[in-house]
Amino acid sequence: MNYMPGTASLIEDIDKKHLVLLRDGRTLIGFLRSIDQFANLELHQTVERIHVGKKSGDTPRGIFVVRGENVVLLGEIDLEKESDTPLQQVSIKEILEQRVEQQTKLENEKLKVQALKDQGLSIPRADTLFFFFFFFNIFY
Amino acid sequence: MAPSSGLCPKVITANYYESQDLASKFTGVPHQSELGSSSQDEVKGKHHQVCLPEADSALSPEEAAVEEVGHPAKMTCLEGPHSNQGPDKSCGPMAPEEELVSASQLEEEEENEEEEEDLDPDLAPDLEEGVDEEEEDLGDPAILSAVTNTQRGLPSSPGIKASGVLGMSPASLHFLWQTLDYLSPVPFRPTRPGTSSPVRHFGPRLLPPDPYVFCSPPTSWSPRFSLPSHLTQLHPQHQRILQLQQHSQTPRPPAKKPWSRQSDAYANLMTRKEKDWVIKVQMVQLQSEKPCLDDYYYQKYYQKLEKKEADEELLGQRSKVESLKLVTPYIQKAEAYESVVRFEGSLGQVAISTCFSPRRAIDAVPHGTPEPEIGAASSQRLRVLSWIEKMFLQLLEIEEGKKNGPPQSCYSEQQRNQVEKLFQALKTQEQNNLEEAADGFLQVLSVRKGKALVARLLPFLPRDLAVSLLLAIIHHLPLLVKRDAADQVLQMLFKPLGKYISHLTFHELLQGLQGLMLLPPGSSERPVTVVLQNQFGISLLYALLSHGAKLVSLDPSLEEPSSDHTAWTDIVILIAWEIAQMPTASLAEPLTFPSNLLPLFCRHVDKQLVQQLEATMQ
Repeated sequence: MNYMPGTASLIEDIDKKHLVLLRDGRTLIGFLRSIDQFANLELHQTVERIHVGKKSGDTPRGIFVVRGENVVLLGEIDLEKESDTPLQQVSIKEILEQRVEQQTKLENEKLKVQALKDQGLSIPRADTLFFFFFFFNIFY
Repeated sequence: MAPSSGLCPKVITANYYESQDLASKFTGVPHQSELGSSSQDEVKGKHHQVCLPEADSALSPEEAAVEEVGHPAKMTCLEGPHSNQGPDKSCGPMAPEEELVSASQLEEEEENEEEEEDLDPDLAPDLEEGVDEEEEDLGDPAILSAVTNTQRGLPSSPGIKASGVLGMSPASLHFLWQTLDYLSPVPFRPTRPGTSSPVRHFGPRLLPPDPYVFCSPPTSWSPRFSLPSHLTQLHPQHQRILQLQQHSQTPRPPAKKPWSRQSDAYANLMTRKEKDWVIKVQMVQLQSEKPCLDDYYYQKYYQKLEKKEADEELLGQRSKVESLKLVTPYIQKAEAYESVVRFEGSLGQVAISTCFSPRRAIDAVPHGTPEPEIGAASSQRLRVLSWIEKMFLQLLEIEEGKKNGPPQSCYSEQQRNQVEKLFQALKTQEQNNLEEAADGFLQVLSVRKGKALVARLLPFLPRDLAVSLLLAIIHHLPLLVKRDAADQVLQMLFKPLGKYISHLTFHELLQGLQGLMLLPPGSSERPVTVVLQNQFGISLLYALLSHGAKLVSLDPSLEEPSSDHTAWTDIVILIAWEIAQMPTASLAEPLTFPSNLLPLFCRHVDKQLVQQLEATMQ
């Protein structure tokens, strides 16, 4: 804000730890080192955090350069409060297994809904619909 | 090294005092001073190096500039002291600092002198030989923590915003702040003998490549600084600064900033120049010729903010605090260029790509094919809405002209033309039939924005045009009221219309009111009843009646029996009757209640009715 008062700018966020949510659903946590006018981001010491339910697992990824248009949102992480997360940290292997489980579960749901639709019954459920489209984007 | 006898601007003296105080507490403060002048050579041996923290990336250019003015000792001569300690030590952890150093500039020699002379004599007696090695290692974390402290401390410092003025005092204030900031995390220094060896590990520990650091809390640091007493040894001002910086309920030792120490090794990968460049690009996108129009909301918000601050300052509630304003660059609009080139006799267009239209190959703008008329109601509504928008733009121009021009009630010729044009547009809407024109006007009035348009236009209109609008509104009042049921915003019209009611002649008034009294075919209810149930309607009605009564009282000729007079009395009686008939609950609350209404009714209506009226109207 000091550089350009009255506007939102990423300049003040440089060298701070951020959580970045990408359009493909990935969550990256890293130090924002550099930006440009398109809000392309350079993240340092990045960690990809996968979370399933109440558990989350981190994969270290190194340096990321993210094209600006792929960012959904990003926010600064308060390092003092960082450890206050309600998520339980688990190992990467476990979290990946959990994710696979979740995905298969959702796919089954999707098939069920599809089957019902074919039979003429449509039961719209807001949550499944969201995941349906969400994962639809992932896979197709 | 000459003592700082010759300099006594107040702030520097205070600083002197502070650092003297601190110096007594913190032996072996690691700092690197500006050793530019020759007189400092003797000091070199003692390694009095004041590291005035480099403005971190978070700071604004003004602050940075002030800082640069105020703290010229930005380690530009690090090479000097380094040479005494050997290059190897200076390589690793010092690399970022050198970058910091190279990025800053020496501004004023005098400030150099002052600062050095201030600090050096303070700290000269306190340094020992063994400090040298420590300083290299200590310098880093001290600097870094100082940097982070400034990062944190500065947003809360009150003097920042006034730093637009690069005078001495803000600079000195900054310097004071900086030094205090810098020195505040030092508190653990007194335990130097105990911490000397672990402290040395700071150097290599600064660059751990692993990501685990931010996963795990800084447990590795705590054994180093396990002495809670360091907090009590703080200078009270330092304590205050610390508390400010912490921003949290639970007090924690200030040393727990591993992320800052670690990341500062990579800090400023994006140099000041690059940041300025990005900002420049962003500003270029914001440029405009008329910020009042393009950036209306921010400009208005800023005006409000300024006014509020001025008021507060006036009331003495707080000292003058200037909030910053975004100043977008003003650039002359580039004249229009031809992006499509046509050669004579050719059948096509040459594709020219410019920075504004990289791929513009053909003239893709459609040329005036009128939309086919669609009779659907929605399209009609859309047409009305777009028509209102066009008229609104004209109105905004008129208002802008009034605002910018000299404050006088007579309008310039151009303005009058504009107003006329707008009025014509409003009334006719490109329709030839009078009926349709009135209908168009009604449609405009049915939309909330249309009402706002008319309400804002009325003050600009000359008398006769305004009166004609007023009459039209009165004539169609029942319809308007019915259509307004959803919006309830007719009220905004009352005030501007009220002004013109007093311009109505008796005859016009009668005409208008008579329209309301007519029984429409196929219904036993007079339009007046609907009007009475609406707030705007009843207010307008009362205002009209009051005006009529005034006219009658002023002009005795009207008292004589004539068709007008009988018509008037009929109207009054009828309205009184209707009011009495209506249950009190459904009678709307008028916006204003003219005082001459009741006497008017008294004259024409019998007592019983008057009493009833009194009851219902109050």
